[in-house]
Amino acid sequence: MVGPELIERCRHGDRAAFEELVGLTHRRVCSLAYRLVKDRSDAEDVAQEAYLRMFRGLAGFREEAAFETWMYRIVTNCAMSHLRRRGRFGDLLRDEEGPDQAIPDRAQDLAVNRDELSRGLAALPEGQRIALLLKDVYGLSVREIAQELGIEEGAVKVRVHRARRKLKELLEEGERRVGEL
Amino acid sequence: MSCEEVRELLPEYAEPGPRPAGPVEIHIASCARCSAELAVYREMLGGLAAYREVEEVPPPGFLERTLTVVPQATRAQRALDELRTVPGRVAASVKRRPAATAITGAALGAAALGLIAWRVARRSAQVPDLVSS
Repeated sequence: MVGPELIERCRHGDRAAFEELVGLTHRRVCSLAYRLVKDRSDAEDVAQEAYLRMFRGLAGFREEAAFETWMYRIVTNCAMSHLRRRGRFGDLLRDEEGPDQAIPDRAQDLAVNRDELSRGLAALPEGQRIALLLKDVYGLSVREIAQELGIEEGAVKVRVHRARRKLKELLEEGERRVGEL
Repeated sequence: MSCEEVRELLPEYAEPGPRPAGPVEIHIASCARCSAELAVYREMLGGLAAYREVEEVPPPGFLERTLTVVPQATRAQRALDELRTVPGRVAASVKRRPAATAITGAALGAAALGLIAWRVARRSAQVPDLVSS
């Protein structure tokens, strides 16, 4: 948990405070960055860019907003910029299912998330996956997600709705398969 | 309300928070299947919220690299920002104290004109001497 005292020390250029803040948050920042861009090397670039923006933006940070939400928004913003630069942002603008929507077996490259939830999330269309991740996992509001993705609030609601239905189906399908074994 | 209509609303209805008693609530209270469906959505949303705590392992050396790279980049960026503000600061100073700037400018102009006049006068004073010699 990042407290106001630590933030204040960071604002005054306290090096130890900066190290403490990065130490406390880097796992979460890396996790979100990786879940958004789905590439470890790109996730590192996104995470570092996010820290850079955080420290530049700390002066304007309003403490009434939770630090974590603010941090997640910055990571999301950096990830979206990164995807734009890489020409992958178009995937996020589409929320329909692409041709390859089979549930991938990611057990090889995901050491932590081998459960049905992570596989179900990975099987969602990109636009739905990102909206669901930001709304239901990271707790951003519909408005905040719309701002970060550059889409209408209504579009965010539709994506979250579809993603929940689809994920539920996938989870039930997974359970049925386990039951058959 | 029919089961079909209610199920269409369940993904949003499952969100935590108080719900006003209404037709959806009444239907769910009397329909075991929709009630079970709602429970599945709620369980899934609970699982998603908990998923935030599942952390990916950062790339090896990420923390060390970040602790080196970010302060360096921040310092470089600040220096750049500082440089960029110089013309603005000069302009702002002119804006803040226009009278003082005008007086200083006029004084400098007058001094320059005086200097030129003095040099011209001095040169023309020297010419007759040269001719006479």
